[in-house]
Amino acid sequence: MSASSPDGPSPLRKLAWTVGAVLIAVLILFPVVWMGLMMIKPTDAMFARPTVWLFTPTLEHFDYVVERGFHVYLLTSLVLGAVSTLLVVIIGTPAAYAFARFEMRFRDDLFLFILATRMAPPVCLVIPYYLIFAKLGLLDTFLGLTLAYMTFNLSFYIWVLRSFCRDLPVELEEAAMLEGWSRLAVFRRVVFPLLRNGIIATSVLCFIFAWNEFLFAFMLGGKNVHTLPVAIPTLITAQGVRWGEMAVVGMVALTPVMLAVFLLQRHIVRGLTMGAVKG
Amino acid sequence: MAAADGTVDDAAVPAGQPAKAGPAWWYPYALIAPAMITFVIISLVPFIYTIFISFHEMKFARLGDFAGFDNYTALLTDSRFWNSMKIAGIFVAIAVPLEFMLGLLGALLLNRPLYGRSILVPFLFIPSMMAPIVVGLLWKIMLAGSWGLLSTNIIEPLGLIGDSSIFASPNLALYALIFVDVWQWTPFMMLAFYAGLQALPVNPYRAAAVDGASPLQSFIRLTLPMLAPLLVVIGLLRLIDAFKVFDSIFVLTGGGPGTSTEMPSVLAYKMTFEFWNLGEASALAVIVWLIFFAFCNVFYQLAKRKLNAF
Amino acid sequence: MVSISSRRRRTGSALGLAFVLCAGPAAADWSYKTAAEPYQGVTIRVLDEITPLQETLATLVPQFTEETGIEVDYELLNHFEVINKGQADLLSGRGYYDAIMLHGFQLGPMLSAEVLRPIDDLLADEALQSPEFDAADMIEPAYSTTAAFGDKRYGLINWNYNQIYWARKDLFENPDEMAAFKDKYGYELAPPETFTQLRDIAEFFTRPAGTTLAGETLDSDFYGIVMEGVKGGSTFLSLWGNFIKSYGGDIVDADGKPTFDSPENIEAIVAWADLWQFAPPGMAEYSLLDVPTVMGNGIAAQAIAWSDFVLGIDQPGAAPYAGKFIYAGMPHKEGMEAERSVEGETSVTAISVHSEHPEATFLFLQWLAERRQQEALLEAGNGGVPIRNSSWALPVMQEGELAGLFSAMEDSLKVIVAKPKMPDFYELYDVLTGISQEIGLGALTPEEGAAKAQAAMLDICETCLLD
Repeated sequence: MSASSPDGPSPLRKLAWTVGAVLIAVLILFPVVWMGLMMIKPTDAMFARPTVWLFTPTLEHFDYVVERGFHVYLLTSLVLGAVSTLLVVIIGTPAAYAFARFEMRFRDDLFLFILATRMAPPVCLVIPYYLIFAKLGLLDTFLGLTLAYMTFNLSFYIWVLRSFCRDLPVELEEAAMLEGWSRLAVFRRVVFPLLRNGIIATSVLCFIFAWNEFLFAFMLGGKNVHTLPVAIPTLITAQGVRWGEMAVVGMVALTPVMLAVFLLQRHIVRGLTMGAVKG
Repeated sequence: MAAADGTVDDAAVPAGQPAKAGPAWWYPYALIAPAMITFVIISLVPFIYTIFISFHEMKFARLGDFAGFDNYTALLTDSRFWNSMKIAGIFVAIAVPLEFMLGLLGALLLNRPLYGRSILVPFLFIPSMMAPIVVGLLWKIMLAGSWGLLSTNIIEPLGLIGDSSIFASPNLALYALIFVDVWQWTPFMMLAFYAGLQALPVNPYRAAAVDGASPLQSFIRLTLPMLAPLLVVIGLLRLIDAFKVFDSIFVLTGGGPGTSTEMPSVLAYKMTFEFWNLGEASALAVIVWLIFFAFCNVFYQLAKRKLNAF
Repeated sequence: MVSISSRRRRTGSALGLAFVLCAGPAAADWSYKTAAEPYQGVTIRVLDEITPLQETLATLVPQFTEETGIEVDYELLNHFEVINKGQADLLSGRGYYDAIMLHGFQLGPMLSAEVLRPIDDLLADEALQSPEFDAADMIEPAYSTTAAFGDKRYGLINWNYNQIYWARKDLFENPDEMAAFKDKYGYELAPPETFTQLRDIAEFFTRPAGTTLAGETLDSDFYGIVMEGVKGGSTFLSLWGNFIKSYGGDIVDADGKPTFDSPENIEAIVAWADLWQFAPPGMAEYSLLDVPTVMGNGIAAQAIAWSDFVLGIDQPGAAPYAGKFIYAGMPHKEGMEAERSVEGETSVTAISVHSEHPEATFLFLQWLAERRQQEALLEAGNGGVPIRNSSWALPVMQEGELAGLFSAMEDSLKVIVAKPKMPDFYELYDVLTGISQEIGLGALTPEEGAAKAQAAMLDICETCLLD
């Protein structure tokens, strides 16, 4: 356990930790690997007993998925997730910062109010939303779903980002203020860059919530705004589940998010241990 | 980016106190205004509408007569409602602490020196990236009685659970659903905590290293207190979400066997989409909301005083 | 557009006699093209449930647009979603969809909410009536019991989902098994005529791992029967439609009063619960996902299942045991063949009261139900659930790979009636499915369960039928 002494880890220790982490990952991800195999498994071998481990791969499941236009749903999900997350970042970042940094009357109450907006079970709220949206003509519109997604993501974002804001060194801001920078300049040029870790991590989590959201997308969306999670249940029919196609969609849906996490995490990593080593 | 890191390293006093050089009084309000206005429009208005509905008869989608507290009385005298609250209590009490601890352990592990961390992180995060309905189906494929992969290859040949299957057993089904929830959401906690660890200032650790503190000591004295705000917030948000779990239950047990996995969201689903008793469903929303509101208030005050988390 | 159509309708009823007189000659040159003239360019939206059947149907829809100039937005959603979204659309008054597929059980709640448009005026409108429609050809009593209520009709039937008996042909034709069965039970092994025979066969084929089945040693347990057992799904529908009613019982009497604890019901539930001991231990989690999977992978000898489940399994390459199945009509209770009842979920596509284009929508629904389209649907080879008597004679039904399945369907559909119209169907179903699952699991005896169910029903409705 005493591996991360300031002397830096030996390659052997590093290897040991890596092997351990990989083993854990393999154990956790076994079901996902199995689903990955189902993508190319012939339908009749899917659940055969005894279990079929070796088979001739097939691409038939991909054909149906493409034919049904799942790539369009994927794109809708991506754009909707990205736009709603971006809005949340724009609106939420100043709020999170203000809640962390400044005295305000009713600060705690307002902060709790924000959390309170996500306490009721969404399944009870979706019909009221449906009725209101129907009146306003927001059903099956991009704007409507973007708004609906902000109901759960904005509160999440502000609450989580605020705890990142607390770690900001106030001295830097004060120094910049003494230099004569405006508040806005301080926020943009000092606070925002320092918060990057938090903003990226939190917005990735928000994006995932939006990416996987089913209930609102299903009830408030429709033919025009048809997201991937809404399309997945159409693979479960009364004639059985299209398991292979389900696996294809499930796995393909992972790739953009994994790619995003892979690319963005480089901005998060500013290792504790790395810093210590440098010291 | 390197420059920004350098500056952080140089000035590393955990803050959280209001700035001394006070800004104009309206400045913080201006910062929160867009968010608050958004909340009023997208959350408060629909919620007030929901409260309004809860005091009316509303079978199907037509608003009926004013019903006073009838919907609330109906709900609060229904043993099924209390049963669902009990089940949700068990679910949350087991799932969230497990996710919390495993997530923290995972984050600490990721924070060790590792080869290929940038590959490992996205992969470990996979369960949380999957649509809940796919997660439900995936565990159906693993654990379904007589045809699930693990059932036919491990559980049944070894006779692990006798004359039933996991999701068909009133004793096991709930714990299996908890397991699925832990599988799905631990990576989420892990990533959030990992990002939090990455954001911690470095200087205190240097000082601790100079003092010869052991890793365990610096974890307890430095990491935990500095990470506390994030831990508390993520834990609380997960708790609220875990209470509302729905998709995996819908796919795996439908709330059964009996009522052994009928969480409030399953009940609310039935009230809404099957019975179309929107008055009572709204009352359920308000009651769950009240319970959380009270809980979060107490929790907030406690966390604020004891952990300096807010 | 709307004003034109309503004027036509009024003319139709005002000049009733004149129209009847002209009906003969008019019918001869009636065509969808001329009937649809006033609705050219209209777009109607129709919501239906997704299975390979509807996906095949969707490929026919463009022909309607070609013939009529009416655009059809034909949307397909999964079973639960078509119910949730369809009902939300009807009940909220949004009126996005002109017509929505409704399962028979949904009709009680939807009629009580008064959101379905009666179509009697459209059926009577000479300008809309296709001479090809031939209402007498529709399968009865399914059509009338589903679509008609009181003196009105709501929608045309379009899906006759039905349950059948499904078994392993290779086992039933294995000489060793046949001989052993005859030795033990004193009669030939064949698809069961009665529930007692069903039970005998279930018992006979339930074997632990290590024993032999059809000459081969089993490496895992094998079961005599599989049915749905999950909470929700159609667990209780199968018990009610196939067992309770075949035993002469029902859950309500003619006045709608609950009769769940009647001796006939209890006897039927005993027979049904008895079968659970021959079923896979996980049956209480089995939904429509599991039953076909269990049959297709050779885990059980027989099933009571929706006939359209079979279509996803009994096709080359769809499952290891595809091609090794036999089908038959549902068994009945000894000596009560006349009472025989089979579970079916006859479904209509009904026009929403909010629809602005009921005439155009009616034309589409009529077109779908017509013989040409039904034949094209069935001949596409993706299976089907016929709604017309004439469909049974099609070559694909008589000679295709699934001829046995279709003959079992035909047998079931002779007696299938729609669910009674119950405004509180969902509340009742929710309680009854939970209790029947507990009986199946042995947590309640049939008597306890019946008493509990009766009390629960009375709690929901004193009289449970729509009046």
